[in-house]
Amino acid sequence: MHTEATPAQAEVPDQDLVQLCQKGDAEAFDQLVGRYRTRVFGMIYNMVHNEQDAWDLAQDSFLKAWKSIARFRGQSSFYTWMYRIVMNVTIDWLRKKQVKGSGAEFNDEVQLREIDPASRTVPKADALPHERMVHGEIRTRIDQAIAQLSPEHRAVILMKEIEDMQYHEIAEALDCSIGTVMSRLFYARKKLQNMLRDVYENV
Amino acid sequence: MKTFEEKFTAWIDGQLTGKELVEFEASLPDKAAAELEKEQAQKLGAFLKEQLGAHSMTNEEFFHHQLREQIDHEEGIGAGAPARRSGETWWTIGRLLWTGAASLAVFIVCTFFIMRDEKVGGQSPLLSQVLGARVDNPEANISIFETKEHKVTVLWVNGLESLPSEYAAQ
Repeated sequence: MHTEATPAQAEVPDQDLVQLCQKGDAEAFDQLVGRYRTRVFGMIYNMVHNEQDAWDLAQDSFLKAWKSIARFRGQSSFYTWMYRIVMNVTIDWLRKKQVKGSGAEFNDEVQLREIDPASRTVPKADALPHERMVHGEIRTRIDQAIAQLSPEHRAVILMKEIEDMQYHEIAEALDCSIGTVMSRLFYARKKLQNMLRDVYENV
Repeated sequence: MKTFEEKFTAWIDGQLTGKELVEFEASLPDKAAAELEKEQAQKLGAFLKEQLGAHSMTNEEFFHHQLREQIDHEEGIGAGAPARRSGETWWTIGRLLWTGAASLAVFIVCTFFIMRDEKVGGQSPLLSQVLGARVDNPEANISIFETKEHKVTVLWVNGLESLPSEYAAQ
């Protein structure tokens, strides 16, 4: 698992920073936020498909982490513990949105306006307009497909395929068994294959 | 005992080894189709990683600043000051126990004094009966003198021709 730590920060292990946080050191927490904010934000964004919501949910997640870090006993790595909070916050939000929403969670018009996929897939300076358009269409198809999955299935497939997390780490983050993770992965892959085969076969 | 779905996922991800791998592959009814599916799943994984992997956050410094403000607000301290330990509260278990015990003691003491005062100042059944009696003479008046310290109550009756015999006897 890669982190965003600078060489100087990388010298301090997460566990040491966590201990400092538990003594009330907010600067140590700042360092942890610096290490994981982009991954946390990216993960949430891939689940909710909206920049502003992802920003707010990432803020909520880190705030909850700060509030409960005194209870973190170090039985897992910090990022696994952090992902557990992130998943709780995000899945809870998605469930509430599903209950409140009209059922059509994905909206093509909104997605096309809000997402600039080229900025996330290739450097802006190198992308030609037609390339951007193609990437935009691909990203839209992926977002549409992921939006068809339940929050739990989304979480499992993204943690496995994007974050390269192990089954036991995903299980810990989602508070379920390894068997459940594997089973969810099976069905999430099947569903995404059916919806995206024509896209990834032709890219 | 793993289900087929669990074994299949582990097989795709290369997590099956040794005897388990041999047994699983032998149990597949159509190995060629399964291999194709494995290839598809791996393609999907690589595709998702390529398309969704590099997602950067805009304005990271503002994210940090906003988070710090929220934390400071939650902690009730000014920006830059060291934060109180998260989850720490004045109401520790020890303090809660001491507070509970002290409250109970105060309650018991108050109850004791109130009960004692009620016994001292309580009206006797005799007085209640006299006051409740009907008096025909409008000129009649009754005065009560009470000394709590000596536990003595004197009932001074004027204008009554007679007291009911049961009171006189007492």
